Amino acid sequence: MTAATALATMTARRSLTLKRLVGFGLLELAPALIYLLSAANLRADRALERAVDTTVALYFPLLLPIVALIIGAGALGDERRDGTMSFIVLRPIPRWIIAGAKLAGAGAAAVGLNLVGALALAGAYGVLSGSWHLVVPLAVGSIVATVAYTALFVPLGYLSDRAVLLGLGFVFVFENGVASALQGVASLSPWRLGIVALAGLGGSDVVAALPDVALGDLMPGAWGAIGKVVVLVVVSIGAVTLLLRHRDLA
Amino acid sequence: MTEDPALVESPTVVVDGVSKWFGQKVAVSGITCSFGAGVTGLLGPNGAGKTTMLRMLTGLIGPSEGTVEVLGVRPRTDPSVYAEIGLVPEENALYPDLSARRYVRYAAVLGGVSDPDSAADRALETVRLSDVAHRRLAAYSKGMRQRAKVAAALVGDPRILVLDEPLNGTDPVQRSHLIDIFRRMGDDGRTVIVSSHVLEEVERMSDRVLAIVDGKLAAAGTVPAIRKAMADIPYRVRVEADRPRELAAALVSDALVHGVSIDDQVLHVETEDLAGLGRRLAAVARQVDARIVSFRPEDASLVSVFRYLVHRR
Repeated sequence: MTAATALATMTARRSLTLKRLVGFGLLELAPALIYLLSAANLRADRALERAVDTTVALYFPLLLPIVALIIGAGALGDERRDGTMSFIVLRPIPRWIIAGAKLAGAGAAAVGLNLVGALALAGAYGVLSGSWHLVVPLAVGSIVATVAYTALFVPLGYLSDRAVLLGLGFVFVFENGVASALQGVASLSPWRLGIVALAGLGGSDVVAALPDVALGDLMPGAWGAIGKVVVLVVVSIGAVTLLLRHRDLA
Repeated sequence: MTEDPALVESPTVVVDGVSKWFGQKVAVSGITCSFGAGVTGLLGPNGAGKTTMLRMLTGLIGPSEGTVEVLGVRPRTDPSVYAEIGLVPEENALYPDLSARRYVRYAAVLGGVSDPDSAADRALETVRLSDVAHRRLAAYSKGMRQRAKVAAALVGDPRILVLDEPLNGTDPVQRSHLIDIFRRMGDDGRTVIVSSHVLEEVERMSDRVLAIVDGKLAAAGTVPAIRKAMADIPYRVRVEADRPRELAAALVSDALVHGVSIDDQVLHVETEDLAGLGRRLAAVARQVDARIVSFRPEDASLVSVFRYLVHRR
């Protein structure tokens, strides 16, 4: 096992404590359960509309960011608070590898949890409608948005003890408030990148079912969203590398 | 041979005019020193700047002024040097959910050790934790955790070992064993830098001592030289008696006494000869018909000793 793999594995392992697995696991099933209860007697076209509504109202702007925030902010933040940062940084490992491994570990843990919610919702829609065409778009959208959030919250967790509070402010005030009102800044909203990927892969019926506020002025397209997330990840690794090189570990 | 006792002949760690401040607070001020093969004790009271100093040596924090070089490079800019550095930090730095074996093995993998399993077993054997290595660190006593941290620092077989209060929480047997390990590593030609606020501990571990107080280098040299410097410090003694003014008047002209003051019916007497003053005080008390209630040195703490050394430099 290489140092990078060991770091990423340990990060994922520490992120997925039993408490979190159970708590987040149950939370991830909530949108699917709510959908099942609310769409049980609907026609197929209305069932899709309700599934997309649930996705846009509950899953992407609420559940997914919270899970990514808690796990992302803890990747380096917990090490700093627990006094274990010195254990990691006093190793002959290039700083960008530490940054990348931390991001990979936290990202994998958050993606794993959020995929439970995405697949449960797509599965619930499949059970009601007999169509499984939401599985891949929802999964890809979930991965895109989760990785984007993790890339934002890993450096934030290292920088501030109040990362969770700041992250919640970003999600609820900026993304779900400002970015919903001002369409021009919608591209700065990570969960909308997930919606862009979902819309790109879901086809015209999914795009038609999306409320205006979900996409803003963004164009559906999975590759565009993935490209933006890749850029975000590279910037995040760069930022964490600089922090590890220059910030005092007091 | 260098003339400055703060410097060594063939240094592995060089500290040049280093200062560190956090906002308005100066933690370390203008320290120049070097470290080489053998055990060097960094001695000073709590809050003296030892931990800040060790953190700068390892690159965990950067100096505000001056430079630190380890094996010719600055650790903050060249992390490859960490293959040669082992740190036992003062804080916990442990993963409580891991067993000691997994913890030390993790350190070995991160350190790029070629056979991490064998290296971890050897390091655990060295600190005598093999029998309990399967247990979670959360279940360890403080002394056992200290030893686990030492094992994690030793697992990469570093040329430089930096230990911040490594004996905290250990019992006398563990303490003695750890001291043996550190001494052995120093004798092997490694650079061992160990901080402590207890002179006796440093004396048992180190051949050479750097004393730090208030962020400044107070003294440097061998343990006997530091002890001698400390022996010259005048004592301040607190005396409680029923007739303090009469006692003070009788003591003030005594050759053993450097000074006397009265504060709220308590006498503060300065002397270089503590035992002599004790004998003289009994005689003087009889002369003036006073009854001595208590007699005790009031500033024999390491803090005041070091402060004295700083002012004298």
